[in-house]
Amino acid sequence: MDSGNTPREGRVEHLSDHGLLALIGRGDREAFARLYDLYGPAAYALAARIVRDRDLAADVVQNVFLAVWTGATQFDPARGQPSTWIMTMTHHKAVDMVRREQRRRTEVLDAAGDEPAEGPTVEEQAWRGVTRTNVRAALARLPDPHREVIELAYFAGYSQSELADRLAVPIGTVKSRTFAAMRALREALAAAGMHPEDEWNTSTS
Amino acid sequence: MEHVDELIHGQALYALSPEEEEQVALHVAECDRCRRQLREAEALAASLAYAVPAVAPPPDLRDRVLAAIDPVVETAPAPAAAARRPAARRSWWPRLAAVAVPAMAAAVIGLAVWNVSLRGDLSSLHGNLSSGRVARLGNVGSVVMSSDGRSTMFASMPAAPAGKTYEAWVIRGQAAVPAGLFRGGGTLVLTLTKPARPGDEIAITIEPAGGTKQPTTTPIAHASV
Repeated sequence: MDSGNTPREGRVEHLSDHGLLALIGRGDREAFARLYDLYGPAAYALAARIVRDRDLAADVVQNVFLAVWTGATQFDPARGQPSTWIMTMTHHKAVDMVRREQRRRTEVLDAAGDEPAEGPTVEEQAWRGVTRTNVRAALARLPDPHREVIELAYFAGYSQSELADRLAVPIGTVKSRTFAAMRALREALAAAGMHPEDEWNTSTS
Repeated sequence: MEHVDELIHGQALYALSPEEEEQVALHVAECDRCRRQLREAEALAASLAYAVPAVAPPPDLRDRVLAAIDPVVETAPAPAAAARRPAARRSWWPRLAAVAVPAMAAAVIGLAVWNVSLRGDLSSLHGNLSSGRVARLGNVGSVVMSSDGRSTMFASMPAAPAGKTYEAWVIRGQAAVPAGLFRGGGTLVLTLTKPARPGDEIAITIEPAGGTKQPTTTPIAHASV
C-alpha cells in the first residue's frame, strides 16, 4: 500500500538531521520519510501525553510533519537542531489543541513501566531509552514545587498565570520556580553527560 | 534595550500570556544574546518530550503523514480499489498557497488553494473545468467532476468549529466513502481523494477532528453528480 513511500536502505540513513532537512527542502520524500521514522513516534508520544486522545494526537503529528515539509526551506540551521524544532512545534500544537478543547489533565508523568520498542534501529531505541531514563532522573531530583511548575506547564498546557491561580501563589513565584527548575534540569542533564543543544540529534551521535 | 531573561523559560515551556509572548518575540528579533538563550531553553524544554512513555502511533499514521504531502490525487476510477481501502484517511491541512488562476471563473480567482497548487497540478484543474460536469453543492459552492471521476470542489465555507473538521464523502447507493478532510475558513478549491461517477452524491459533513469512517452528522451540503 505504501510502496514508493518506504525508504530504500542506504540513501538517506547516513544523513544528519540537518542534511535530511536540506533534502526535504528540495522535495525529497525519502528524506522526509526518514525524518518521520526518526521523530514521528516521539512526537506522537508527546502529543498523546498532552492531548490524551489518540486521534487528536495523530492530527497533531500530521500537522507538524506537514509543517516540516512546507517549512523545510525556511528552517534556519542556526536556530538549533531540527529535532528541537519538531518537538517544539509538536508541543505548541498539542498545547494549542488542549487549550481549545479544554481537555487539559493534571496528572503528572506516568511511572516508568514496560514500554514498547521504538525507533528505526536498535541503536536509536537504546539511545531513546537512555535519554528517557536521564530526563526522568533529572526531573525526579527537582524539589516538588519546582518539578510541579514545569510538568503542569509542559505536559498539561497550563499558562503561568493559570498556574499561579491553581497553586495559589503569586505569579512571580511561578516564574522564579520555573527559572530555578529549568536551571537545575540543565545541570542535572549535564551531569549525566547530556547537553540538549548539542545532543538531541540522533543522526549525528 | 531591556532583556527578557525572566520570560525566556516561560516561553520555552509555552506558558506565557500572549502579551509576554509578543514581548519576547519582538525582543529576540533584535537581541542575539536573548535569542541564543531562548534557543537553548527551547532545546532544554524539548528534552522533556523524551521523558514521556513511549506509545505506539496508530498503524496508519505513517501512511497518513506521507500521503498528506502528496499532491497527487488518486485518479483511477476503480470502485473496487476504493472499497478495498475504506479506512485510508487523507487530509490536507492547509497547504496554503495564494495563486492567481486567470483562466478560472471570477469567483475563484486569487484563492487560497489547498490541494491543487503544488507540483503544477493546476493544469489538471483547468482540464476539469473545460470537460467536467458541474453540480451545485448545496448553498456553499459547486463540484466539478471530470470524465475520469476526479471531483474538484469550489466552495466558500466558514472555519470548522473548534475540535471539528469538514469531511467530504462520495456516496454511492447506501455506501459513503471518506473523500478528504478540510478546515474551511474562506474560499477553497479542493480535489476529493476518491473518484466519483455519474449518479453518485458528494456530501460534506462536520465531524470530530481527525475525521470519521462513516458520516455521523447530517450533511450541511450535498450535490448529485
